[in-house]
Amino acid sequence: MIEVLKGGLETTVQEWPGRKGWYKVGFPPCGALDGVSLRLGNLLVGNEPGAAGLECQFIGPSLRFEADAIVALTGADMGATLDGVAVPLWESVAVRAGQVLALGPARTGARGYIAIASAIDVPEFLGSCATYTLAGVGGFQGRALKAGDRLPFGHSSGAIAGRRVRADRRPVIDGSGVWTIEVVVGPNDDWIDEAGQARFFASEWKLSARSNRVGYRLDGPAWTFTRKAYDKAPENGSEPSNTIDHGYAIGAINLGGQTPIILMNDALTLGGFINPYTVISAAFSKLAQARPGERLRFASVTVDEAQALRRAQDALCSKASVE
Amino acid sequence: MIFPEPRFAPSGDRYLLVQFGDDASLALNFMALGLDAALQTSGTKGVVDTVACYNSLLVEYDAELIRFADLKAELQRLIAGLGPTSALVIESRLLHLPAMYADPWTAACIADYRKNIAERPYDPDFVARENGLKDGAHLGRVHAATEHWAVTVGSFPGLPLLRPLDPRCTITAPKYNPPRTWTPQGALGLGGVSTSIYTVRSPGGYQLIGRTPVPLWNPTLANPAFKGEVVLLRAGDRVKFQAIGREEFEAIDAQVREGRYVYNIIFYQKFSVAAHEAWATNLSGGPPP
Repeated sequence: MIEVLKGGLETTVQEWPGRKGWYKVGFPPCGALDGVSLRLGNLLVGNEPGAAGLECQFIGPSLRFEADAIVALTGADMGATLDGVAVPLWESVAVRAGQVLALGPARTGARGYIAIASAIDVPEFLGSCATYTLAGVGGFQGRALKAGDRLPFGHSSGAIAGRRVRADRRPVIDGSGVWTIEVVVGPNDDWIDEAGQARFFASEWKLSARSNRVGYRLDGPAWTFTRKAYDKAPENGSEPSNTIDHGYAIGAINLGGQTPIILMNDALTLGGFINPYTVISAAFSKLAQARPGERLRFASVTVDEAQALRRAQDALCSKASVE
Repeated sequence: MIFPEPRFAPSGDRYLLVQFGDDASLALNFMALGLDAALQTSGTKGVVDTVACYNSLLVEYDAELIRFADLKAELQRLIAGLGPTSALVIESRLLHLPAMYADPWTAACIADYRKNIAERPYDPDFVARENGLKDGAHLGRVHAATEHWAVTVGSFPGLPLLRPLDPRCTITAPKYNPPRTWTPQGALGLGGVSTSIYTVRSPGGYQLIGRTPVPLWNPTLANPAFKGEVVLLRAGDRVKFQAIGREEFEAIDAQVREGRYVYNIIFYQKFSVAAHEAWATNLSGGPPP
């Protein structure tokens, strides 16, 4: 068992790629926003890459281990200590029974991951351990961890301390405050006029503080539309960005009035706003580490380019990246 | 309008959106549901998930198993094999669902919005006026006088989007702007021509007209009425609302909490698109008084 001493800001059990196959009845995938960091962490401790670990958002938790364990910290640097001694990132570490692993606020990036050899042992809901807090299901009792929770984990077999992610295989979380995020144009780009499309790619978009695992709100210039946004049947709704309800892709840039919202892993599965652009799946590990107030710039890629980027990222999340 | 040819667009690197037309007519929903069913039975490799909606089908796919162009070609082949929409006969269960119109819980939610977000009229009276009906009570009578068709299920777990099958009972309503930050579980919302039932306490933008005490999803998987399923309704099911008062609401709510509530689901009927079309085109008169 792991006893939670402090829950952190919002720490949840997540796996990767999350709960798949239930979108059609309204369940988003959930799962780790930064699937690269979770997968690399799991590889360090000998787990399946997508196994259940902890996603720590902005401020990490404090955990007392009641049994020996091998753990690895990846993603954002949350200044972790083990009984007060600094713990390296991107490296497997031995924890002895009784020791306290304490994380603090993220120094750079936004989300840290804790992988534990043999993984967090919580019941599956619809085939997945990913937490979906909005509906209160999955993970640990369907919610973020809080002080007093006791989290079961399995017995580790063969995991060893001192494994590292090769330096050239670690995601860059540099704190420069500007992120380039790749998008595929569409499906509703024909609702945005030429000036609006040019403005989207030319502008820096500030990540709003009102952003979370459901959606990332972006502050930036006003949107302008084609005639299609105005000459439409009343059942579309009254705003230019309203349309007849349709299924939403995870990653869609969903235009609610004048506010673009990137639909993240816990998003609504459908709704009545247009999606002029869609963030590609390989860019989520960057989005996961963007902090409110930081800036996003968008770059257009083709479907083929996006799929090649995803393939390269999946290849990175393999044993070859661990030494 | 039905497009002469369905339109295909990528949404990122993992999704494809097929759009059959640009209105909210039942015919377009039947096409989306027909393609969804055909895709499931075709066993097309690499299909991860789908969301059928008013006039579209969103397909999530695994690009390592199928390319965008090949998925598009497969969908075109399946669409060509669908046959005329009017010939469709769809398995369609009918759920009788008790609901209290103009209930105190959604009234409290509207009052909270007024206090904290923006001034607005009381939703049932406002929607009634916008649709030429007498008042919130009349709105409830019209809403409960028709069967409602489940166009899709989603946005939140098990949440149905419903539209009336009797065109005389069509009610339209604008959405909240800005949206609500919370909506009570079980609330009935109206937006555009759709009714939604909020299955979990959640943000929302539909006008609130009532509330049902009966849950439509089953997070513990323990409710026998769901037969092991996590959500009750599927696209293509129908809902008939039964207006109840506060006393009955509270009695049913107690039955639900004690696990004694018996769902009223009829599953011996099929829905014939042609028969519905023939019926709907020969109706006369306006909404019920």
